[in-house]
Amino acid sequence: MTLLQIEGLNLAIHDYPILHDVSFTVAPGQIVGVIGESGSGKSMTALAVMRLLPDGARATGRVILDGQDVVHLSEPELCGMRGRVMGMVFQEPMTALNPIQSIGDQVAETILVHERVSRAEAMERARVALARVELPEDRFPLTRYPHELSGGQRQRVVIAMAIALRPKLLIADEPTTALDVTTQAQILILLKRLVQEDGMGLLMISHDLAVVADMADHLVIMRHGRVVEAGPSPALFHRMQHPYSKALLAASTHQPDRAAQPQDTPLLQVQGVIRDYATARRGIWGKPGTFRAVDDVSFQIRRGESLGLVGESGCGKSTLTRAILGLEEVQGGTIQLDGQPVFTGHKPNRAVRRRMQVVFQDPYGSFNPRHRVDRLVSEPFHLLDTPPQGTARDAAIAEALESVGLTPEDRHKYIHEFSGGQRQRIAIARALIIKPDLIILDEAVSALDVSIRAQILDLLADLGDRLGLTYLFISHDLSVVKQVTDRVLVMQAGKIVEQGVTADVFAAPSHPYTRQLLAATPRLPEFENT
Amino acid sequence: MIRAALTNRALVIGLALSLIFVGAALISFIWVPQDVGAMDIPNKMKPPSAAHPLGTDHFGRDILSMIMVGARTSIAVAVVAVVIGMGLGVPLGLAAAARRGSLLDEVIMRGNDLVFAFPSLLIAIMITAVFGPSALNAIIAIGIFNIPVFARLTRGAALSLWTRDYVLAARVAGKGAVRISAEHILPNVTNLLIVQGTIQFSLGILAEAALSYVGLGAQPPIPSWGRMLADSQTMISLAPHMAIFPGMAILLTVLGLNLMGDGLRDLFDPRIRRDRR
Repeated sequence: MTLLQIEGLNLAIHDYPILHDVSFTVAPGQIVGVIGESGSGKSMTALAVMRLLPDGARATGRVILDGQDVVHLSEPELCGMRGRVMGMVFQEPMTALNPIQSIGDQVAETILVHERVSRAEAMERARVALARVELPEDRFPLTRYPHELSGGQRQRVVIAMAIALRPKLLIADEPTTALDVTTQAQILILLKRLVQEDGMGLLMISHDLAVVADMADHLVIMRHGRVVEAGPSPALFHRMQHPYSKALLAASTHQPDRAAQPQDTPLLQVQGVIRDYATARRGIWGKPGTFRAVDDVSFQIRRGESLGLVGESGCGKSTLTRAILGLEEVQGGTIQLDGQPVFTGHKPNRAVRRRMQVVFQDPYGSFNPRHRVDRLVSEPFHLLDTPPQGTARDAAIAEALESVGLTPEDRHKYIHEFSGGQRQRIAIARALIIKPDLIILDEAVSALDVSIRAQILDLLADLGDRLGLTYLFISHDLSVVKQVTDRVLVMQAGKIVEQGVTADVFAAPSHPYTRQLLAATPRLPEFENT
Repeated sequence: MIRAALTNRALVIGLALSLIFVGAALISFIWVPQDVGAMDIPNKMKPPSAAHPLGTDHFGRDILSMIMVGARTSIAVAVVAVVIGMGLGVPLGLAAAARRGSLLDEVIMRGNDLVFAFPSLLIAIMITAVFGPSALNAIIAIGIFNIPVFARLTRGAALSLWTRDYVLAARVAGKGAVRISAEHILPNVTNLLIVQGTIQFSLGILAEAALSYVGLGAQPPIPSWGRMLADSQTMISLAPHMAIFPGMAILLTVLGLNLMGDGLRDLFDPRIRRDRR
């Protein structure tokens, strides 16, 4: 018996084809994972099942859910099905909830829309739904508002809304991508439990092979709007046929070659750094409180080393980055690069600054959209006392672009003409142009698709070898940190709780928090044996 | 971009209406159907005819010529008022955003609130009452009230830009607040400023007409749409065309500028553009 049967689904938006002949099925109680990189059409497939397609989209084929062909239903009939027969969980829990409605009201609303029940009864059922997603009423009253909850708790509320009417099919579109690893693990366990209890089908969409591998009974791998390979989950990993699936798996576990050996001389020394932020005053005359974002942090990076810094959101990683870069003054401790302080007498030290650069996470937000590439890339020249002019400047720009695998002609283009991976290359070119010693990679590969990520990691390893660069690699993704760093620091609530050689920390974590992080990290099946 | 502009109905209509009046004002410098200073009492309050396409006023002056010359006054007052508002408001807004949360930010924004707190037309009347009615004083009065509009808009937009990674990258490159504001913030708020500029421009024309209507704007014999309306009101039943044509001129210009502002906003915002094909 199948619950959802997609047969030959084609989809075009404004006559631009998005999906080609997509077919797969979901049985009750089955978890089907749809995997693909950005632009593969995985989200559009989910939206086609919900018939929540953007304007101008036209779908053909058959999407049979619970005996009815969704493609040919009218909008009122669809409204009757959404929420009752099919529920949906979105990626971003911060925007999926209405900020001015209490969580109880939001869950009850789904019930009131579909069933003629009294408000009190709807609230009672909302209470049950919230309890099922492990938000019991005694600790999370129904009157709570979304801003009073953490990201993981909000995602639980979103799930409660989706399952309140016990739908037969639950669609989860990247349900854990915006969450920390430990929260992700809990949400995945919750989804699995709900599927077992209700016997509903779960269509789970993700870019992360490891997340889906852990969860799904059946995998569907998509690329450019087509299903390239599908099969039962653990088995599929061992007998993948299609070159794309193999490439995707290889990229997910990619290990860049790094030849350079770190030297013994320390490059960056961080000694007892403290960074406090002022919080709101208590009362009109009260003193502003302080929040200690970085608490007595000390470490050093040796020349040529690649040091990983891992921790969940809010642990103080970004604050520490800004302090190292000399963007904000610290309240205690010292930061020295090659023996010179980053901050001297409340002023950032230009001589030190020009030896450090940074690459940010978001390839789309890192560039001023109104400047051409040459101007973007040459921005750090501002740090030099005598920036190169004329042909020297042109040569430096060309060299930087070539070193990241772009052509010197790209200098005349605007940033929107580049893909995400290319933009990240430009960000690296911008960091390289003044030939710094230390490059801070602040989640620099987190927003990239796995295949692009593998290329960028290779590029970074190659540049590190050729130019003798030192990297501070900041990430929440432990599997990437494991692949590219020599040593690793684990940060929790502003403190470094563990540090050591990467292989040792991953093999035998000593701090409970590190163990928790490692346990929560999703693994691909191959990893489990090694 | 240009193709998208041509398919945007509001923008095309707005631009056409605005150009008609700007064109009329420009043509009036070299040619008008009849000298606006020349009175022709025997032909006063004549309805539209071949000699006077829009009729004559109570002194027998040609209304078409007066509207054309009056457009000069309206446009000049509104342009200068917008320039004053932008010239002072945008730097203030950029400064407030660059030093967000500081005393400077607080002083600038509370100063804005102070100007906002007074009804603008009333203060304009006060200024012209104290310094004497003239087109120049009208310009200054209207311009002052444009300052907080631009300062707030700029600050609000700039605040969100200051959190962008490219601004952080510029700070890592050692650039200071002034340089970042000029290179990264200002170019990215220009779209908003152009849209708001057209809307303030139309409000300036309205404000000038209102001030002239109560006799505090441009003084006779300089023709002004507001005063043409004021002059016509006692004769509205005898010569309705005297009120209708200057009124239409104000209405169509303001409508045109507002449509243009809407159209530009749609054009600059790709999300809206897609929906309104």
